[in-house]
Amino acid sequence: MPDGLLDTLRATVGPANVLTGVDLSPYVVEGRTPDAAVFPGSTEEVAAVVTLAAGAETPLVPWGGGTAASVGVPAARAGIVLDLARLNRLLEHEPGDLTATVEAGLTMAALQAALRGRGQWLSLDPADGERATVGGVLAANASGPRRHLYGTARDLLIGVTVVTAEGVVVKGGGKVVKNVAGYDLPKLFIGAWGTLGVIVEATLKLRPVPDAERLVCVGFDRLKDAGAAVRAVMGSDLIPNAVELLDAAAAAALGVTAPGAALLVGFDGLAEQVEWQCAELGRLAGALGGREPRALPPETWPRLAAGAAGPGAVAVMTFSVLPAQAAELMEQGADAARARGLQTAWAAHAGVGVVRATLASEAGRLEPGPVAAALAEWRELARAGGGQATLERAPLAVKALVPVWDDPGAGGRIMQRVKRELDPKNILNPGRFVAGI
Amino acid sequence: MYNPATMAALTATRKRELRRALEAIVGAPGVLSDPDELLVYESDGLTLFRALADFVVFPTSAEQVSAVVGLANRERMPFVARGAGTGLSGGCLPAEGGLVLSLMRMNRVLEVDYENHFAVVEPGLVNLHLSWTVGPRGFYYAPDPSSQQACTLGGNIANNSGGPHTLKYGVTTNHVLGLEVVMPDGEIVWLGGRTREASGYDLTGVFVGSEGTFGIATKIVVRILKKPQAVRTVLAVFDQIDQASAAVSAIIARGLVPAAVEMIDQLTIQAVEDAFGCGYPRDAAAALLVELDGLAVGMEAQAARIVEACRDAGAREVRAARDEAERQLLWKGRKSAFGAYGRVSPAYMVMDGVIPRTKLPYVLRRVNEIVAAHGLRVGNVFHAGDGNLHPNILYDPRTPGEEARVVAAGAEIMKLCAEVGGSISGEHGIGLEKSDFMPFIFSAADLALMQRLKNAFNPTGLCNPGKVFPTKKSCVEVGPVAHRPHAIEEKGLAQRF
Amino acid sequence: MAHTIEERAPAPAPAGPLSLHGLSVEGVNQCVHCGLCLASCPTFAELGTEMDSPRGRIFLIKSLAEGRVALTEGTARHLSLCLDCRACETVCPAGVPYGRLIEAAKAAIERERPGGPGRRAFRWLNFGLLLGHPRLLALAAASLRLYQASGLQSLVRASGLVRLLPGTLPAWEALLPAMPAAAGRVPLPPLHPAEGARRARVALLAGCVQSVVFGAHNRATARVLAKNGYEVVVPASQGCCGALNAHGGDHARALEMARRTIAAFEGARAEAVVVNTSGCGAHMKAYGHLLGGDPAWAARARRFAASVRDVAELLAQAPLRGPLAPVPMTVTYHDPCHVVHGQKIRDEPRRLLAQIPELTVVDLAESDWCCGSAGLYNLTEPEMAGRLLRRKVGHVLATGAEAVVTANPGCILQIQQGLAAHGAPVRVLHIVEILDRAYHA
Repeated sequence: MPDGLLDTLRATVGPANVLTGVDLSPYVVEGRTPDAAVFPGSTEEVAAVVTLAAGAETPLVPWGGGTAASVGVPAARAGIVLDLARLNRLLEHEPGDLTATVEAGLTMAALQAALRGRGQWLSLDPADGERATVGGVLAANASGPRRHLYGTARDLLIGVTVVTAEGVVVKGGGKVVKNVAGYDLPKLFIGAWGTLGVIVEATLKLRPVPDAERLVCVGFDRLKDAGAAVRAVMGSDLIPNAVELLDAAAAAALGVTAPGAALLVGFDGLAEQVEWQCAELGRLAGALGGREPRALPPETWPRLAAGAAGPGAVAVMTFSVLPAQAAELMEQGADAARARGLQTAWAAHAGVGVVRATLASEAGRLEPGPVAAALAEWRELARAGGGQATLERAPLAVKALVPVWDDPGAGGRIMQRVKRELDPKNILNPGRFVAGI
Repeated sequence: MYNPATMAALTATRKRELRRALEAIVGAPGVLSDPDELLVYESDGLTLFRALADFVVFPTSAEQVSAVVGLANRERMPFVARGAGTGLSGGCLPAEGGLVLSLMRMNRVLEVDYENHFAVVEPGLVNLHLSWTVGPRGFYYAPDPSSQQACTLGGNIANNSGGPHTLKYGVTTNHVLGLEVVMPDGEIVWLGGRTREASGYDLTGVFVGSEGTFGIATKIVVRILKKPQAVRTVLAVFDQIDQASAAVSAIIARGLVPAAVEMIDQLTIQAVEDAFGCGYPRDAAAALLVELDGLAVGMEAQAARIVEACRDAGAREVRAARDEAERQLLWKGRKSAFGAYGRVSPAYMVMDGVIPRTKLPYVLRRVNEIVAAHGLRVGNVFHAGDGNLHPNILYDPRTPGEEARVVAAGAEIMKLCAEVGGSISGEHGIGLEKSDFMPFIFSAADLALMQRLKNAFNPTGLCNPGKVFPTKKSCVEVGPVAHRPHAIEEKGLAQRF
Repeated sequence: MAHTIEERAPAPAPAGPLSLHGLSVEGVNQCVHCGLCLASCPTFAELGTEMDSPRGRIFLIKSLAEGRVALTEGTARHLSLCLDCRACETVCPAGVPYGRLIEAAKAAIERERPGGPGRRAFRWLNFGLLLGHPRLLALAAASLRLYQASGLQSLVRASGLVRLLPGTLPAWEALLPAMPAAAGRVPLPPLHPAEGARRARVALLAGCVQSVVFGAHNRATARVLAKNGYEVVVPASQGCCGALNAHGGDHARALEMARRTIAAFEGARAEAVVVNTSGCGAHMKAYGHLLGGDPAWAARARRFAASVRDVAELLAQAPLRGPLAPVPMTVTYHDPCHVVHGQKIRDEPRRLLAQIPELTVVDLAESDWCCGSAGLYNLTEPEMAGRLLRRKVGHVLATGAEAVVTANPGCILQIQQGLAAHGAPVRVLHIVEILDRAYHA
């Protein structure tokens, strides 16, 4: 970090809002300590900090709850962490409009609590809501089991304010639920991992809290049968808000006993609708070898979002495949790991084909070679069916052998052009994302 | 003014050469260059603007689109894709001359995967035809713009089209999984795919709604949905517009998200009743068409909540459609409303503002005042649940000065929408029509960022120039790309008047 | 050329109402360019070119009337390619009277671009001679019958001589209906008494081509009407209604034929004029407009037009009188354009079929799309007619039906020929034939 930058930052946001030295331990990612962590207190301060960093060509790492800080290609250069924790206000909530505008550093849990008090909610349920912030969830495009019915951030974000890599405050979208004026900038920043701009404010579509909600579990002897049940549910009149498929290991990690696999299905709506659907699910699943459905406690929901990782996890890979291929990927992937002596747990948002695999090694000992080989094989399995894989978490030794991101193909060149246009000095999370971005 | 004699004198030789080059790609029957034929392509659904192309070409594959775009790049000719030409913002007009690529001969359904709920289609496929194709298997394509019987999926992609049922199901972008795109430089690239997530930036998401300025989609992967088990359509009749506006918020306040909440005012009711006799009461000040869909269980209870909300807001009559035939007829009236204005006026201009729905009563009152102050009539038929207004200002283009008043009233309405925290377009796009209104809602910095994004896709600016961004004389773009002589002007093929 | 985007320059205030060939085309101003008609137009669906769409044609007609474009070969081509099926009218929310506009345009084309000697001869033969003179038509029919019976037809078809025939003749040749033998061509008796309680006295249009080629339809029509309590008279002095002339741009003769037809039927003292051919019915219902400018005839024409009923329209006014015998078949229904679009009769024939015991009716995709027959269109535009016919036959075969039921002789000939070319053993029946079968099984 250039001389004097630290002083200028302190002068900009106040000395108490710049951390250095041992205070930086929460921001150590994959063994690398940032030069400083800065806590701007307003959009203007964010812009000022970015302008300073851009002038010094010092990398910036936008930071929310830090829950996904280790996702991505390990950073080549340390930089300044831009922690948005002080931007944590709910700015506007007009229940009649079913919209809310929030600052990026507000945690998901705090937002949901405020909304629920007025009978509404943001239909996005990523893991670790106590820590995860709205800005971070958007940047990581994080989601949870209810995405089955309600979609992901791209379906809910209607307006965004970002500070560009040059320190300019820019708005995209708006505050109304339907809007095609100008390019869809909100989409650009979702899932961009902070590489194109710093999200400082977001306007989101809300929903009324349903009268009733229930999560039920159906046990199966075989994963294959549970997969068939997923297809049966998808082809039926049921309107579940979540369709989760867990193998025995993932089910056990969740505290659900299932002989071979568990199918967890969520329903919401009027009480009579939830009742009817649970009964109908029992009928459908029963015909395919499912046990009697049983209701799970509401606390199960947030743990589903986390993908039910077991103890001793060393690597996590996520996949997006055709929904009908999810069960097969889970079986083949588990076999591929078992052949290398590795334990796995597999969970899927099966209705949308989003699968999450956790790889554990015995007694926490790690041989990067077999782990990398299994991960590479998994990626091939997903890609062969037209799907996609991301190595979400892994030790550096494994990341050295297996790319974090898929090769985005010809589209990667467009992404690089977008990055060059929006961040010409390459200071926002440089090198962390796909295609060298 | 269009003048075939001038054009022939200026371009004869060059035009012949270019025609031959285009014929080599798409075949002779795939190229139009006769001025009388080009004439019918001078406008889309908005006749306020017109612009004449030098050629209209009809590719039948992505490879042909790519070759035509490659030729356009080599010849420095602007180009724009066109679907059915039902757009309402001039978005597919060849604003600076050059080529129009009509995609109407690329209209196949290439693949339907009923197990994974998606279809792969070509851009010239008519929106409704996709639902017809998958209908027998119990599926449909959710976004349903009112022009769905004619408009194409490619056009829907360009405009991120909406429709009545987007209240519950979202707009086009919420249903697109992937796109095969011919980039503005001619390269064929896949954005997204068949699965829900793809590595990297959401290029599919930014492409949808880019109004044809980021390239030309040649294959489209869309989600198809299972038809709901039950549908209930309720018609609520009001003696005052304010009551109808209030009912919209009342419905939302009761924790309901209907599939659609549409409002239709008296002038419009009379036009559609003249057209098809759909069953709307002619003496009503306004009617709401509210549709619920989903499980059969609980449908009665939900419908009862709707009825109660409308009654409490002062509805004089609330009734459910008796059967599917009556439901279809009510929707036919709603969806034909724009065209039905032809019965009461030789022309109309439809606005497309969006406002927070709680501002509905105030804004509707102001809209009617603004239009009346300009000595004009307005019909309102719109997606009330989303706050997406469609004031239709009626006028006669043959009456001197009337068009200028329409444009002035339109600008005031756009300003009004911006002032209450809304937007200038909910689903029709900016195109040519609203480009100069963009500063109402976006700062120079906002627009500059959009321009940079455009540069990443379309660095030469040849792909659908003159759209979206504010212009001075319809040919100057803001941001880094300064005004330069048009490619054809440079070649001495045309001059700017 | 100026690449400017203009706010639509105020169109020059027209001196008077817009017209072509003296016929008003003011209706073009009802078009608001919304484009909802596009996907309903068969020629646009086939070609994808907007000059061949309703909106494009309206725009061309408007531009012609305003003098923006000249009636060039190309413009005439796009207008001539219109089927006049009026599917666009059914979907048009603005109520553009498209049928009238295209007839005016075709009249202008006939005057300004009459074409070469072959085309003129074709027109004279059809419009001037045969259609206007039922006896000559009968004579021509007898010659055709001879041509078919003598085996010459098979020889000509097999030899490839067909391909040497000039212009549209090959299409004509392929379409030749199997001419009924002389017994089938005898004229209808002038009066069929009603059976059971008498409902009304109606007059039947025997038609020109219809009476010669499809006499059986007329007899079936009379029998079915009689079963349902209608007394059926067949005025002897009737001739051609002039629909083909009007659609073909022969406006002057069309007016004369309309006057003759009205006069012939006024004498019948019937409460309704019943028609079993779609183009004639739609055209006769528009006599009021056609003769609206003729003070001597306007009122008579309006009265007459109001009394015209398609046979299905009339029969569907009340439940069919029984007993009806079972007709154990699977059929599908094709809507003739000038029944469904020209007269807005869509449910009535289906309601009638639904009353026949053991008859299964399956839906036909694009049932209300033109089959390509369109009056003389299959003769003047054989290529496009062929494309539409193949489309229609494809949909028919997809239904798996044993027979196509429809309500117009042109459609019957066309679809029969298409199915035959496909070697498909599917029959094509007029709706009165299947009703007649239920009564006389």
